[in-house]
Amino acid sequence: MSKSTKTTITRRTAIKTVAASALAVTCAPAFFVRNAWAEKAIGNFPVKGKEVVFGFNVPQTGAYADEGADELRAYKLAVDHLNNGGGMLGTLDPCALDGNGVLGKKVSYVVGDTQTNPDAARTSARRMVERDKVIMFGGGSSSAVAIAQQYLAQEMGVVFMCGLTHSNDTTGKDRRRYGFRHFYNAYMTGKALGPVLAETYGSDRRAFHLTADYTWGHTQYESIKSFTEAEGWTTVNNIMTPLGNTDYSQFLTAVLNSDADVVVLNHYGKDMVNSLTQAVQFGMREMQKNGKQMQVVVPLFSRLMAKGAGPSNIDGVFGTANWNWALRDTGSQAFVKSFEREYGFPPSQAAQTCYVQTLLYADACQRAGTFYPPEVIKALEGHTFTGAGPGESFMRAGDHQCFHDVLVVQGQGMAARQGDFDFLRVYKQVPRDQVSYPVDTFPGDLGPYKPA
Amino acid sequence: MSGHLINSLTLQVLTGLQLGAIYALIALGLTLIFGTLGVVNFAHGALYLVAAYCAVFIANSLGFGWGVVLVPTILFAAGWIMERGLVRHFYTRPHTDQILVTFGLAIVVEEALKWGFGSNNIPYPAPAWGSGIVRLHDYLGFLEGFVVFPKWRLVLIGVSLAVIVALFALLRLTTFGLVIRAGMRDAGMLRFLGVNISQRFALVFGLGALIAGVAGVFGGPITQVSPEVGMHLLVPSFLVVVIGGMGSLEGALIAAMLLGMALSFSAQYSAVQQIIIYLVAVVVLLVRPRGLLGKKGVFE
Repeated sequence: MSKSTKTTITRRTAIKTVAASALAVTCAPAFFVRNAWAEKAIGNFPVKGKEVVFGFNVPQTGAYADEGADELRAYKLAVDHLNNGGGMLGTLDPCALDGNGVLGKKVSYVVGDTQTNPDAARTSARRMVERDKVIMFGGGSSSAVAIAQQYLAQEMGVVFMCGLTHSNDTTGKDRRRYGFRHFYNAYMTGKALGPVLAETYGSDRRAFHLTADYTWGHTQYESIKSFTEAEGWTTVNNIMTPLGNTDYSQFLTAVLNSDADVVVLNHYGKDMVNSLTQAVQFGMREMQKNGKQMQVVVPLFSRLMAKGAGPSNIDGVFGTANWNWALRDTGSQAFVKSFEREYGFPPSQAAQTCYVQTLLYADACQRAGTFYPPEVIKALEGHTFTGAGPGESFMRAGDHQCFHDVLVVQGQGMAARQGDFDFLRVYKQVPRDQVSYPVDTFPGDLGPYKPA
Repeated sequence: MSGHLINSLTLQVLTGLQLGAIYALIALGLTLIFGTLGVVNFAHGALYLVAAYCAVFIANSLGFGWGVVLVPTILFAAGWIMERGLVRHFYTRPHTDQILVTFGLAIVVEEALKWGFGSNNIPYPAPAWGSGIVRLHDYLGFLEGFVVFPKWRLVLIGVSLAVIVALFALLRLTTFGLVIRAGMRDAGMLRFLGVNISQRFALVFGLGALIAGVAGVFGGPITQVSPEVGMHLLVPSFLVVVIGGMGSLEGALIAAMLLGMALSFSAQYSAVQQIIIYLVAVVVLLVRPRGLLGKKGVFE
């Protein structure tokens, strides 16, 4: 009997082979794409189709509508640059973006209205995520609104790139794994401004604070208080004023009645415009107290606010800013030029931070090679970059706060102004190291990479 | 009393008067329209808003003096048109309809201004003669040390006082006033007597708007000029009308000062300050359900 040399393929072997090959073919990309084996559906990942959608949730109505409008202009510009190149794509370093969309997909966007109201913002964001399938959303012009959206982002597994939010809480006690902030915060304002105030006005000053009664105001007050007290100042009193107040006379009367020789206005937007204008009406910039010239300080300044208050009221008033369109670094100039070309006037700091945030997110996706949120988050965490403003910027992994140079600015009076948009003069560019702080300064927990 | 306490009291009374003055100017027009026509005009804050916007542009281009002349005139015309074109169709309709249509109008005006001029403030400085501070200690011997108050706010108190006196004089001393007061009591009876009450109602509405115009010109530098200002002032002004007693001019005046003082004296205690006007309203309405000087049968 001769031994058969014929190889027999049983039905069972065939099925096994086919199954194994099918498995190998399906999983093959996973062995070549970093960490792709772990990618499961989170939020709106995986992205289907040829387009990827970003959501821009800005205040289109309400007190911060002008900031919102400028943010939207910047977002549209960012999308244009992502799809067609231009702007900071040429200056951002490192930069994996090539002006041809993100990961081969064209970027499109949807727009929502936060109404500067946390509930409305959440509803709008939820709609973007559920109906429009956004992979990332950003925007906002109030810390309460940003924090509300950040919690939603974590819940839904969609990255939120905060817009204009300055409260310590955003990357402090309310920090979230799915939220990132490029904008600076109240603590950094205090660190930058405290020494300048002491240098200019002396270390023996008595300060009275008027503070907007919500998360941002509270952290702003705490920060400025501690940094001015460290310079030798005394805090005489603080009054919490209701948000959206129009008449500050009753509070300013209390300042007049005290022995304070500095009034610190922890107000933003219209609140600041009103309180500053009225402080000036009360003669607080011409008055002598304790043998010293009385001073007004506005820790968080913006061009839109300066414009609302008018050049005569802001002349010489100190504050801080995240960014200013007059900065000469290549990144700022690239952005300003393309913004001006598109809209005919220079961008605000709200526009700049929103623009940078969008590019940072897109670049992180490109670097990670995927839209898978945990990988994108990891690509953003600890990321160091230049060319998005002056100096080097660093997105800290521990709290998702970005650190970069901060500006101490002074209001520009009528006489010194050079052009229609010259409201703030950069008094000092405070280096990143001087405004940085340890990650455990504020307790908080980022939460998991994968939402429960 | 210590010097500090006297200084503090003086400043707080002045602040209260000034807060009350602006509420009074807005509430007077509101209560005049309500008392005479029975219309709850939620667009009254929007009239103030329009006045402030007109004032800032006229003052910046032609000068403040022209603002004082032109703005109340424009507002009178606007009020007259508003009554003839819209509000008169709602006299016989329920109060809810009147509230809805005027509130809707207020929103349209606010959004239109936002669309046209942006939502940020438009700087409206007080004229040179009214800016700066008054050194109160130079005039008031009982004050100690250095006590100052903004000049413009004193001007506002003065203007408010003048408007109040003029309005009361108009209503008490003229035939027009007599007819209006009679109309406030019983409009139907006046019609039977052959008085063209409808023509006069348009004038009353115009007059209410004119007072809002004066408030806009003189109050603008204090409340600032931005689209939300109208709504911000509307709520306290309505409270003034309710606390004072619906349709009572004297009541509105007392209530305006009461709220101004309450806001001023509670300023240091922010938890209380934010609810003080509602607290006052609750207390007053518990004790006098028709408001301080409210008459039986009005809005009931």
